[in-house]
Amino acid sequence: IQNLKCVTHDLHKMLCTWEISSGRRHGQTDFCYTTNDLNPQVCFKTKERRVEIPIPESSITVTIKSSGTAFATKEFVIHQKDVSFVPVTPHILSLVPDFPTSTLNLKWSDNGSLFPYGLDALWQIQILRKEAMEVVTQVTYYSKLAHEDIILSWNWTSDMPLECTSHYVKIRCYVNATNFVGPKDWSDWSPSKVIPGKDTEPGESGVFPLDPVVAVGSDLTFCCVHEEDQRITNMTYGSKSYTMMKLSSRSHAIRVLNASVSNTSGTNVVCRLENGLEGSVVFVGYAPDIPQNLSCETSNFLLIKCTWKPGRPSGLYGERRTKYSLFERTSGKNVSCEVSEVNRDHVCGFPVLPDQKTYDFILGVSNPIGQAQSSLLVDITQRVRPRTPEKLTIVGNNSTSIQLRWFINGSFADTRLLCQTEISSSHSDRRLHNVSMPGRKSSTYTAQLNALHPDTKYQFRVRCSAADHFWRWSDWSRGVEQKTSEAPPA
Amino acid sequence: MATADSSSTALRRRDLCSRGIRLAGKMRTDVVNLLDAYVEQQGLDASASVAAVEGVPLAAVERWDEQTGTQRLLENLAAYRAFRALLAQMLEEQREQLGEADAGLGRALAAVLLQVSAFAYHLEELLRLESRGIPVEEGDGLPPPPRLSLFEQKLRGLGVLRELSQWATRSVRDLRQLAKPSPATDLAESP
Repeated sequence: IQNLKCVTHDLHKMLCTWEISSGRRHGQTDFCYTTNDLNPQVCFKTKERRVEIPIPESSITVTIKSSGTAFATKEFVIHQKDVSFVPVTPHILSLVPDFPTSTLNLKWSDNGSLFPYGLDALWQIQILRKEAMEVVTQVTYYSKLAHEDIILSWNWTSDMPLECTSHYVKIRCYVNATNFVGPKDWSDWSPSKVIPGKDTEPGESGVFPLDPVVAVGSDLTFCCVHEEDQRITNMTYGSKSYTMMKLSSRSHAIRVLNASVSNTSGTNVVCRLENGLEGSVVFVGYAPDIPQNLSCETSNFLLIKCTWKPGRPSGLYGERRTKYSLFERTSGKNVSCEVSEVNRDHVCGFPVLPDQKTYDFILGVSNPIGQAQSSLLVDITQRVRPRTPEKLTIVGNNSTSIQLRWFINGSFADTRLLCQTEISSSHSDRRLHNVSMPGRKSSTYTAQLNALHPDTKYQFRVRCSAADHFWRWSDWSRGVEQKTSEAPPA
Repeated sequence: MATADSSSTALRRRDLCSRGIRLAGKMRTDVVNLLDAYVEQQGLDASASVAAVEGVPLAAVERWDEQTGTQRLLENLAAYRAFRALLAQMLEEQREQLGEADAGLGRALAAVLLQVSAFAYHLEELLRLESRGIPVEEGDGLPPPPRLSLFEQKLRGLGVLRELSQWATRSVRDLRQLAKPSPATDLAESP
């Protein structure tokens, strides 16, 4: 009887094994142990050459009596330092793929209930790939055991679509049992879990990822899954051919580094096979910039018009274009904005709400690559920019004064207007005449201009703004021309 | 009166055929230009081999010269009705994918779609002239085509435009054949 070895998997019990020389292997064995002189010896019979017994606080005396063709008895004294600690092999509870993001989610139990509270545990997670099961990455994950079984979760994003080839995951652990004096080691690797690639599915073929949208500067891996008997000629990204990597007998991949922005219809990734084409279209663009110079005003107290500078174009169009929405926090109202991708003015309309002066706007911007937002708190009564005055006409005229009338669309009943008339003539410098007046709803307004020269041709135009809290002038109205009458005889 | 009628019908047919020939010729030129623009805009390889497009009768036909006038008209009509549906789908996909970017290609596509529709109507006129029944359009009730990937959409578009340019060439030849006052053009009883 020799080579008695004891291993513990849970710091409570240990599994002892021993060897017996060939002549005695088939008989029965009497196994006795005692932890110290005070406790009675515990004995039992076994045909196995392994026994599970408690771990000694300090030491344990073992007596092994083997019957067989001739009796043999051997006594061993086992100290804790002689017992090695190899944690129980972990088991993967679930391995869930998220194909669109090429992410694997791994869940496993930490078997914490087996161990005292507060021990540090290290988990090594290995990801393998391809038919040859090459190690792609090995990661160490830390956790603290809490004397109860806790499900741990970990995500890993592959640098290549999960469809390209099968991905395997296995895990092992190391428990830093500080109070245990014996040698400590990593557990065995768990059985591996697999996420089969499309190259294992009969009849499946194509280029992956299919029609992705990615950020400029990304490093991309595309693979071509094809039938076993199909010879692959080449794979191109745009107009350039790339060196192919073999993933399996049915899957080849190319690696594109630092992708540049694609044209409007996307960049084609083409896999040329002996008798056919497979392909994908990748859209490479920018995440939206934070909108700059967000500004909102109203020209009629019916609609608030917000404008902003979008920043760098995203390079994405159609259903992938950058989309804008205007959310107003106080009312909770949300408006999606119809913004043209091509022409450069970005405008969004939001209804003026009854009995609400202050608006707490958030302009949200998003496209498939990212999102951003800008906010603006504004008292709309201080952001009035009336429409251009219309139908400017002369309604009164004598040698030294003229009366003008014009119309402004919009409801300004609660707003005092300031209107400025520009008076120009060939004889004198341009003169500005300001007049303020109570605003009304879609109404006409007049102004009396005095101190004009008789018998003189004048040009007039008018613009208006809010008198209280000036924000911006309207555009100038269309001009009108009028000659003052001659002065009456002195 | 029969002779007068048949000669006026023949005159009317020749007029319709010559106008049809001009329409098909113009369409062929526009389709070829559109094809070039499409290949460039979609980043395709002009020499790419593309499988036959589902739903489009091939322009190439065996024993072309043995066809009756009615067969020519009916085959042409079936083809251009199919092209009308496919081009309309391409236009929809174009708007979906590109929005307002590359509006030029969208306009060119819409212009060709218009010509295809006009030519289909012209063929129906010719069939009416020969008091042939106009076949009912099969479009309604057919299940929507399967959703293709973007690359498959691009290849199908390439296939459609290639086949359309072949058909435009064939239609010119068919209509010239129809315009000839020879026995071969007699519009046989429909089976």
